[in-house]
Amino acid sequence: MSDFFQTGIITTLHQLGKPSLERLESELHEFSKVRPIALVLPSLYSEFEGPAMPGIVQELAKVKYLNEIVLVLDKASEKEFQKVREFMSPISTEIKIVHNDGKRIREIYETFTRNGFNVGERGKGRSVWLAYGYVLARGRSDVIALHDCDIVTYSRELLARLCYPVVNPNLDYVFCKGYYSRISNKMNGRVTRLLVTPLVRSLQQLVGPHNFLAFLDSFRYPLAGEFCMTTDLARVNRIPWDWGLEVGSLAEVHRNYSPRRVCQVDIAANYDHKHQVLSADDASKGLMKMTVDICKSIFRTLASEGVIFSDGLFKSLLVSYLRHAEDTIMKYEADAAINGLKFDRHEEAMAVEAFTRAIGMATQVFMENPMTTPLIPNWNRVTSAIPDIFEMLQIAVDADNKQ
Amino acid sequence: MENFIDLILDPLNGLFLKFKVFVPNFLAMLVILFIGILIALIIKRALMKFLTAISFDSWSDRMGFTKLMRKGDLWSKPTATLGTIIFWMLIIVTLMSGLNALQIPAIDQLVSQFFSYIPRIFSAAMILIVGYLLSGFISRAVLITAANSGFHYAKLLAKAVHTLLIVLILAMIMEQLQIAPSIVLAAFSIIFGGIVIALAIAFGVGGINAARRVIEKDVMPKREEETKDEIEHI
Amino acid sequence: MKTTTFRAEVQEQLERIGQADIIVGIPSFNNARTIGHVVRAVQGGLAKYFPDHKAVIVNSDGGSSDGTSDVVHNSSIDDFNAILLHHRVSPISKIVFPYSGIPGKGSAFRTVFEIAGVLGAKACAVVDSDLRSITPEWIELLVTPILKGGYDYVSPLYHRHKFDGTITNSIVYPLTRALYGKRVRQPIGGDFGFSGSLAQYYLTKDVWGTDVARFGIDIWMTTTAIANGFKVTQSFLGAKIHDAKDPGADLSSMLYQVVSATFELMETYAEVWMPIHGTEPVPAFGFEYTVGLEPVNVNTVRMLNTFREGLRNLGEIWFDILGAGDFGEVERLGALPDSEFRFPIGLWAQVVYDFALAFHKRKLPVEHLIKSMTPLYIGKTASFILEAKDMGQTEADAEIEKLCMEFEKRKDYLVANWK
Repeated sequence: MSDFFQTGIITTLHQLGKPSLERLESELHEFSKVRPIALVLPSLYSEFEGPAMPGIVQELAKVKYLNEIVLVLDKASEKEFQKVREFMSPISTEIKIVHNDGKRIREIYETFTRNGFNVGERGKGRSVWLAYGYVLARGRSDVIALHDCDIVTYSRELLARLCYPVVNPNLDYVFCKGYYSRISNKMNGRVTRLLVTPLVRSLQQLVGPHNFLAFLDSFRYPLAGEFCMTTDLARVNRIPWDWGLEVGSLAEVHRNYSPRRVCQVDIAANYDHKHQVLSADDASKGLMKMTVDICKSIFRTLASEGVIFSDGLFKSLLVSYLRHAEDTIMKYEADAAINGLKFDRHEEAMAVEAFTRAIGMATQVFMENPMTTPLIPNWNRVTSAIPDIFEMLQIAVDADNKQ
Repeated sequence: MENFIDLILDPLNGLFLKFKVFVPNFLAMLVILFIGILIALIIKRALMKFLTAISFDSWSDRMGFTKLMRKGDLWSKPTATLGTIIFWMLIIVTLMSGLNALQIPAIDQLVSQFFSYIPRIFSAAMILIVGYLLSGFISRAVLITAANSGFHYAKLLAKAVHTLLIVLILAMIMEQLQIAPSIVLAAFSIIFGGIVIALAIAFGVGGINAARRVIEKDVMPKREEETKDEIEHI
Repeated sequence: MKTTTFRAEVQEQLERIGQADIIVGIPSFNNARTIGHVVRAVQGGLAKYFPDHKAVIVNSDGGSSDGTSDVVHNSSIDDFNAILLHHRVSPISKIVFPYSGIPGKGSAFRTVFEIAGVLGAKACAVVDSDLRSITPEWIELLVTPILKGGYDYVSPLYHRHKFDGTITNSIVYPLTRALYGKRVRQPIGGDFGFSGSLAQYYLTKDVWGTDVARFGIDIWMTTTAIANGFKVTQSFLGAKIHDAKDPGADLSSMLYQVVSATFELMETYAEVWMPIHGTEPVPAFGFEYTVGLEPVNVNTVRMLNTFREGLRNLGEIWFDILGAGDFGEVERLGALPDSEFRFPIGLWAQVVYDFALAFHKRKLPVEHLIKSMTPLYIGKTASFILEAKDMGQTEADAEIEKLCMEFEKRKDYLVANWK
């Protein structure tokens, strides 16, 4: 059970009492007639062999208010693609699978490249972006909801709560981010707890009050991969294709809309998913790569809003971050103690050390080239350069799903 | 006895002579085919290089040709497709010239027929392209004009116009290619006439009321006819 | 500079006149009924307000067959005393001739510019030949800011019924204003004043073989003046009443002419309008007064019907132009009952920008593109009529001002997608 405290400059929707899922879904069913919902699922083939996917399919089969589901399948052969189609068949909602490695979709990516659009490397960012394009191309949905496919504790309440704030026409939200606590027998979610929050607060201390930092700090779980938005937003938002995806998306939301129209919602009492391995040596792998990308994304956003980064500022930042992070560890230690959770202080300190190094790396990369990973252009730009692209994308996906 | 041997040897001799004539021809054909294929390959290569250099793909993306290909479930690059088409056309020409080198009268005739047919194929292709573009243009003009005047069945009308034009174009193409001209003519008359009669009957039966309204509106004095709008748009 | 050579008799006339200070051009085509009044008003204005200036009236005719030229020749004010305080020094000459080139108002104006060049005119004015409400004061209002105020271009301000001039009010004015940053209220007014140097500048532009020569001259003159940094002002002329337009001219052709000319200029001056942010008012001369609002007959039911039929039949074309988002909004409008029908001004601005972008990208043949906009325009107009039914002039003007602000607010979208 949670409190009802409002954090920061965006709205927080808590889970209070025991809201009825049935009521929620029946309301969604009504609302969705006016604002049809598309669910976008970015996935890897490997996830279909894991423990999470069967549960997700089982739950989605019971959901009646969705207008369409777009599953983007990455790293799958033709045969595996067919298997996935079979796997998804219990779901009665119309479902389209975007086969990233199929010849048609590959040709679509090729079309972007030869017309001068850099849509980045394979990854969640690029997949999600293409899925938005397909939803926009069909033009049948007004709202896009999105969550990962590795949630072991998935329940359809999560989806309902995620969609509700944007779908309900009486609430004027264009973007809604999920939040939840990540506890097993210990506290998870280290990157948020020990990297993002302390980093954002150190930055606030160093550069003074800043709109975007206040916005970012308002999110209880800025790295959550679950969110819901209007298709209009999907059309104008540019997204990073690297690990900066979540933070970069928030930056774009902040750029295009007032915080008044943004909210976060408590979507699950508990949540667990696959964990990234911490590899302190190799920055391009796992958590380390993720950390560097996130830091770069934050720096770039701030720079684009007029914050000037200097060597000195970065040096102070490292020190300030370390202080904040150490304080944070102490806070969570107490939090763990009262709740009887396991807390490995050494491991947490190691993580902070690794994060500090990652921030250092990110500052270096940023100083050398502030424009590093560019964003994928928004769909408005793409369609204006290649007017037929929506139609081609639609033909490609539909043909893949017909055979 | 000698006669008898002659009787046997003569045909063999004749065969040998024919063979002697045929072998160089056959070799010539092989050479032609070889060179032809080689040239076709080179031309294809050069063409694709050239098309890539002028970013033909990107142009085709923007002009809607790529979309047409995708609609036909053709997923190769536009340059590759064009290159392949040109390649196979060259191969066919090569094959025809090769066969010609055999100097077998039946094949000769076939080949010459083929070459005399090429202009027809060309003009048929021209008719197809121009006709396709033109029919799209005309039917859209009909659609917009009808819709702007508030006509409820504008889409239907435009579709009908489009279909009629396509039928007309196909008939012209068949005629150009000399595919069963008499049948084409008859079929065309029947289809075209049929469509017109069908429309007439459909309108007559289904549209009696509508027709009455139209007639009444025209015949009846415009007494209570809505007054003209008095605003000036410019 | 390429010039048309004048016909011998015109040449002779020009040589006889030698030099002039003011040129007033009246283009005409079968306007025998009204042009007499216009010529008299112009003569009166010249005589009354510019007695010391040498002035020439140029009637550039498109080959009228109803005796327009004779009317011009024979029109003169019988009793100057009625309007004049003292007699003018030199008589007002008249040049009447059929112009050459592509038939159209633009070609007619071109010869006016050329004559202004030959005669070395300091100020010029052009007025429509079908005006019923023109008074001698118009000439003063159009010419004085040029001669005495140091301006290069005078655009008119009229008082019109709140429902009139809807193409101007909902497309041309908001668009031109947002693009070029100058609040010129009647960019396609038809009655303008301009300096001799601007007339010569116009002649340097190589547009006389294009649609500008046929129908796009009004917006072309205004835009060219603004975009090239000429000093622009406005003059309040009063009511604009003119002969009923050719009833056969249908709305979609009108829309096509005006809008295609405006869009075409966006291509020419893309470098100019892209960096402009915000707008500034343009000074106005003349005495402003309000006119009454007599009720007019408008059948909004039929207009809304046209909009819905357009949506049903042209939906696919619109979808391509507007994209799924805005098209979805338009589709929703189609389902509204008449009483609740409102075309949101933000959406309208977006629609106009989307059509401009489609024009820029040549998504469709130009004529198809713009004509397919007609039902949308009719829907927007009907919506405005419903909204402004009970409004006074000031409130209706405030609505147009709001629309303009939407255009300005969304200009970024246009700029970002132009490329």
